[in-house]
Amino acid sequence: MLEINGLKKRYGDFTLDCTMSVEAGRITGLVGQNGAGKSTIFKSVLGLIGTDGGSIRVFEKEAEDLTVSDRRKIGVVLADSGFSGYLTVRDIIPVLANLYADFDRAYFEKQVQRFELPLRKKIKEFSTGMKAKLKVLTAASVNAKLLLLDEPTVGLDVIARDELLEILRDFMEKDENRAILISSHISGDLESLCDDLYMIHAGQIVLHEDTDVLLSDYGLLKVDEKQYAGLDRRYLMRVRKEPYGYSCLTNQKRYYMENYPGIAVETGSIDETIAMMVRGQEA
Amino acid sequence: MKGLLIKDIRLMKVQRSFFILIYAVGVGLALFTEDSTYAVGFPTFVISLFTVSTISYDEFDNGNAFLFSLPITRKGYVAEKYCLGILLGGSAWLLSSAVVLIAGTARGMGSAGDICLAAASVLPLMLLLLAVMLPVQLKFGAEKGRVAILIALACIILIGSAGIKTAEMLHIDIVALLDTMPVPGLGAVLAAALLTALLLLAVSAGISTAVMKRKQF
Repeated sequence: MLEINGLKKRYGDFTLDCTMSVEAGRITGLVGQNGAGKSTIFKSVLGLIGTDGGSIRVFEKEAEDLTVSDRRKIGVVLADSGFSGYLTVRDIIPVLANLYADFDRAYFEKQVQRFELPLRKKIKEFSTGMKAKLKVLTAASVNAKLLLLDEPTVGLDVIARDELLEILRDFMEKDENRAILISSHISGDLESLCDDLYMIHAGQIVLHEDTDVLLSDYGLLKVDEKQYAGLDRRYLMRVRKEPYGYSCLTNQKRYYMENYPGIAVETGSIDETIAMMVRGQEA
Repeated sequence: MKGLLIKDIRLMKVQRSFFILIYAVGVGLALFTEDSTYAVGFPTFVISLFTVSTISYDEFDNGNAFLFSLPITRKGYVAEKYCLGILLGGSAWLLSSAVVLIAGTARGMGSAGDICLAAASVLPLMLLLLAVMLPVQLKFGAEKGRVAILIALACIILIGSAGIKTAEMLHIDIVALLDTMPVPGLGAVLAAALLTALLLLAVSAGISTAVMKRKQF
């Protein structure tokens, strides 16, 4: 559905170098700190910025060859941009109906009512949560094949976040050939939603893994100097020196649990995995 | 394009009281001024320039990034702005011309033909105004755009003054020349002016498209 190969974009000292793909029927997450390059990827795919190399293919076409009709099959949420704040929800309904041939007006209106979004209030007067809900509802109502969602949950409380994630699950359930690329700097948002995750740091993809594998097979070993010396290091991905000895990231947690019963093995969170991938050294 | 036009018309709702005020001033001018060109020109120019304000609304709060992620092209966006300008300016011109014609005839300000010619002289100027304002606004945005417009206006005034001075040096009285010109002759001049303005508008649209294609959001 989306293939990015060797995408390069330079801003001063920052260089994005990204290869990734989003398959039909899957929700792919992109996790990384602010400034890691997530928005740059989205803007490159959408042709909002020029690139310095690489290729982007959407629906098996080069991104720059996408027609208006192709673009109708893409629903978009951008972190820092939306419909003009001077418009109201009532204003944007006919705009969407005319821009997207498959705009599901009944669904949109039903969801607007469900999420208690005011129809006649200017969007610039909406709370952060209301704006975020409107953006996601808009993207989910155009009967898209691919959703590109850049930080759709930013600034939301836990309940609002859950509501939004529910909209996305509903979106995927309606058609198994749909796909979503969603980014967040809060990994917890994506853990329960995504089929696979890309971790990005300083413009580089540092890890790609299925979420299930990440949660079941990855772990952190907490070992002292002596234990570390006797450790089989074949399955260690990263190692970091700690006051007590070493913290080691592995993608074969069970192997160490079975063969080294004396060492502490923790199920690392995605945040801890990212931290290890970024700050740890190769074993 | 229809979706974008609806968006802009909805955006202009924000300024509806200003719209009404402009029309009220236009009607006032039609009733109390002797100058038909000014009475038609004022509302036509001001209302056609509402197109420029929709560009500012689009740019507000980085809105362009989302706008250009919608199923539109940059060329289509530019085409919509020019269409909007012509629609707004054209409808304001039609309405104010009708008001001035009715008021002018009732007040005995001259023949209907004279009033129509005066009104028609506004049309190429309106197109010229759009041809200058739209690319400048798209290129420089609201803040820098104002400075650029002032510079452009200063240049136009300088060129105009230079033209008049040159005519004076050559002992040509332009006003007298136009006054002595028969109505059919004036009609031909206006038609030529209208065609030239349309041509310049087309060139301007090409420049605007090139400006938008280079923009990054």
